[in-house]
Amino acid sequence: MLEVEGLVAGYAGTPILRDISLRLDRGETVGLLGANNAGKTTLINSLSGIVTPMAGRIIFDGRDVTRATPMQRVEMGIIQVPEGRLVFPEMSVRENLLLGGFCDRARPLRPRQMEKVLALFPRLKERLSQPAGTLSGGEQQMLAIGRGLMAEARVLMLDEPSLGLSPLFVQYIFGIVDQLHKDGLTMLLVEQNLNLTLRHAQRCYVLERGHIAVEGAAEVVKNDPRTRQAYLGL
Amino acid sequence: MSELWQALAQGVFIGSTYGLLALGMGLVYGVSGVVNFAHGDFISLAMFMCLALFSAFSLDPYVSVLITIPVMTAIGALVYRFLLRPMVGYKFLMVVQLTLGLSLVLQNGILMIFGGQPARTPSIVESKLIILGDVVLRLAHVIACAVAFAMAIGLYVMLRSTDFGRSIRAVHQNAHAAALMGIDVGRVQVMTFALGIGILAVAAALLLPGTPIQPTQGLQYTVITLLVVVLGGMTNFVGIMLGGLVIGISEAMGTVYVSDTLGRLVPYAIFVLIMLFRPQGLTWRAS
Ligand SMILES: Nc1ncnc2c1ncn2[C@@H]1O[C@H](COP(=O)(O)OP(=O)(O)O)[C@@H](O)[C@H]1O
Ligand SMILES: [Mg+2]
Repeated sequence: MLEVEGLVAGYAGTPILRDISLRLDRGETVGLLGANNAGKTTLINSLSGIVTPMAGRIIFDGRDVTRATPMQRVEMGIIQVPEGRLVFPEMSVRENLLLGGFCDRARPLRPRQMEKVLALFPRLKERLSQPAGTLSGGEQQMLAIGRGLMAEARVLMLDEPSLGLSPLFVQYIFGIVDQLHKDGLTMLLVEQNLNLTLRHAQRCYVLERGHIAVEGAAEVVKNDPRTRQAYLGL
Repeated sequence: MSELWQALAQGVFIGSTYGLLALGMGLVYGVSGVVNFAHGDFISLAMFMCLALFSAFSLDPYVSVLITIPVMTAIGALVYRFLLRPMVGYKFLMVVQLTLGLSLVLQNGILMIFGGQPARTPSIVESKLIILGDVVLRLAHVIACAVAFAMAIGLYVMLRSTDFGRSIRAVHQNAHAAALMGIDVGRVQVMTFALGIGILAVAAALLLPGTPIQPTQGLQYTVITLLVVVLGGMTNFVGIMLGGLVIGISEAMGTVYVSDTLGRLVPYAIFVLIMLFRPQGLTWRAS
């Protein structure tokens, strides 16, 4: 469904990612692991079109989207739930969700999709008219995911959804990930939390200083000594 | 006593128009971080366009807005797209210099075409008065106030409850997240700037009746707009309208109770005083 070939990307002419190739099949949950500063967010932003690649190709549904704008990619259904949630703090929960469904493809479906999202996150339903900035971290993460789902995501990319959450909320969020997986959603799960991700993803890539050090089925990655090294090496 | 009411009423009428001028600047600052020092010269431009339309077709300024609104909006879009956008985001001072340069270009352009003499654009409402007890109101001021508030409310509703309005607020609150929602941030910035300049066409027509205009007046309007925006807390909608009223009322009080030239300093003095005690502006929220 989504394929990356030989991607090189970075900032101001300095490459951070070197020769990244990866693949997401339909309905899969793929983990993207790596220590702090490994380049996970840079990779996810390249997939969203925020960071422009210096080389390589990104193919989505058989179409080359390497040069597509962020807006075009959202329109195609490549949706990112950003690191740190980045909800719109001064807007209500409801307005945040409406903005999630801003793109032309999702806009007419918003009422139906809103119902689905609120059924998935009953907590949000109670707080619909509350400013998003007043929510707890866990609730903001629910909102960020709900906002991503409002866009009728075809690929949902979650950037460190467990960051800064209490263990209880982390468990809850990963339960949601499992549920979305059961519903058939294709997901890229970006995480630092190794064991947790290995439990919820079918396949994983381990990023080490901008290149992929290990890849394969979760079991394989778990037992590969290079996985630990990639974490310690930084 | 009637003098006080007179000044107060006049201040509210003028102040609401100042508030409207400043809303445009505040919106633009909110989504692009641009402080437009040519703001007042765009008001001048709109006013002189009304003058030209009167000279050529005897159009009343209230009718001319039908032409000046679309023209000013288009000018705003082009200026942002081709002059400001290449620099927005990474060179704040260069953007400031650019808008200052634009101010000089507009000022001298107007001077070249219309000459330096103060001019007037007649309007049917110019000499109409409304008398309420001891207080004499100019019809033009009453219209200005009503239209300014109606437009402010319209803008507020647009920002609150339309997708375009929400996209403007989203870009203001977090441009990166807005892009991830599929919002074309660059386009929102162009459209907001165009909107801010388009509003000036209305404000110009509201201010025109009975007011002499001259090509060099732009800076004065820019400064007043800046005072209002800063008082209002830069991007706070209600704060900006409130700031407009404060500046309008202090200006009116100044000209009534202090001598004419010295009176013009009153708004600035009030501004400095307020800023000393409330550097975050008039409104209560920190952001
Ligand atoms: N906007 C940016 N400009 C310049 N360098 C950046 C930017 N964002 C991240 N970097 C650098 O890119 C590298 C990878 O960062 P990032 O992709 O955020 O890693 P991760 O998400 O895995 O923690 C880091 O060395 C970081 O300093
Ligand atoms: Mg990151």
